[in-house]
Amino acid sequence: MKKILISGLFAGCILFVISYGGLFLGIRFFPGLFVEYNNPLFNSDGSRDILFYMHAFIISFALSWFWDRFKSLLKGSAIMRGLEFGFVYSIIALLPVMWISFSSLDITVLTVASWFLYGLAQAIIAGLVLAKVNP
Amino acid sequence: MSYKITLWAIVLFLSANSFVSSRQTAGGLPVKKWIISKNSSLSVNGSTNVNKFSCVIPTYDQVDTITLSTNRTDTKVILSGTIGLSISSFDCHNSGMTKQLRKTLNEQKFPALRIKFLSLNKIPVLTTNLQSITGLVEIEIAGVGKRFEVNYQITKNDQKNILLLGTREINFSDFNLVPPRKLGGMIKTKDQLSVNFRLNMISMN
Repeated sequence: MKKILISGLFAGCILFVISYGGLFLGIRFFPGLFVEYNNPLFNSDGSRDILFYMHAFIISFALSWFWDRFKSLLKGSAIMRGLEFGFVYSIIALLPVMWISFSSLDITVLTVASWFLYGLAQAIIAGLVLAKVNP
Repeated sequence: MSYKITLWAIVLFLSANSFVSSRQTAGGLPVKKWIISKNSSLSVNGSTNVNKFSCVIPTYDQVDTITLSTNRTDTKVILSGTIGLSISSFDCHNSGMTKQLRKTLNEQKFPALRIKFLSLNKIPVLTTNLQSITGLVEIEIAGVGKRFEVNYQITKNDQKNILLLGTREINFSDFNLVPPRKLGGMIKTKDQLSVNFRLNMISMN
C-alpha cells in the first residue's frame, strides 16, 4: 500500500508538471484549438479550479494501484511495459468514456480526440514512471 | 360686452402661448423627437487569451423615441429615451460563445440590457457630414446601472434619416460581473469590452 501511494505521488508530481505545462504551452502556441472551451459546458467561475489541478494526482493514484495489480502481466523493458500499460488503460477506460462524451455532449471530434490523446499521453508517462519506481 | 371679448382674447392668448411653450424648452429650442428604426444594431467586442469575439444584436425590434431638448441655464442638450435590448438576441457567430455571453450577463435573471440617453455636450448640427459629439448615457446590465460618457458620430442623409453611432469601452466588473475563465484559469476572458451601437432614426419634426 505504501509503495502504491509513494509511486502514485511521485507519478502525480511528474504528471502535474507535464500535463499543465503542456496545456499552458498548447494554449499559448495553438490558441485556436481552445476556442471551444468558451462555452457554459465548461465551468467558468473558478469554483472547481482546485479539483481541476488535482486531476494529475487522482489519475496517478488510480494508475499506481492498477499498475501494482497487473504489472506482472506486462513483460519486456521498462519502456515497453510503460507504453503497453498506457495503451491498455486508454483502450479500456478512455475510449469508452470519450465515445459516450462525444455522443452525449455538444463537442467536436477535435475536442474529444484531443482529450483522448491527452489521457493517452498521461497514461504512458505514468506507466513509464511506475515501471521505473515500482517494477 | 367689449370687456368680455377682451377677457376671452387674453385667455385665448395665454392658452395658445402655454401650448407653444410645451413644444419648446425653456431655452427656446424646439423639442426634437427621433424615432429609432428597426435597422439599428448593437455590437459588443471582446477578447480572451485564445480568441476575439464579436457579439451582435443585428436588429432593434421595438419602437422607441429619443427626445432632445435644452434649457436656458446651459448649452447642454438634454436627451430622454431608453432602448431596451434582449440579451437572448445576442449572436456571437459561435453557439458556445453566444451561450457563454448570455450566461455571463445572467440572462435568466436579467433578460434585457438598457441604454438610457441622458445628455449631449452640444446641439448636433445635422448634415451629411459626420459630426463628433459626446454625451452621457446610463447603461444597465445585469441589474446594475452605470453612467458613461459616450463618443458619438452623428449624420443625416439625403432621405432625412439620422444615423447616430456610439462607442464606449466598458468592463464586466463595472456591472459586478466576473469575466468567464476556463480550465483552471488558463483560458481567461479580458475584463474590457467595446460597445458600439448604430441607431438609425427618423426625425418627427
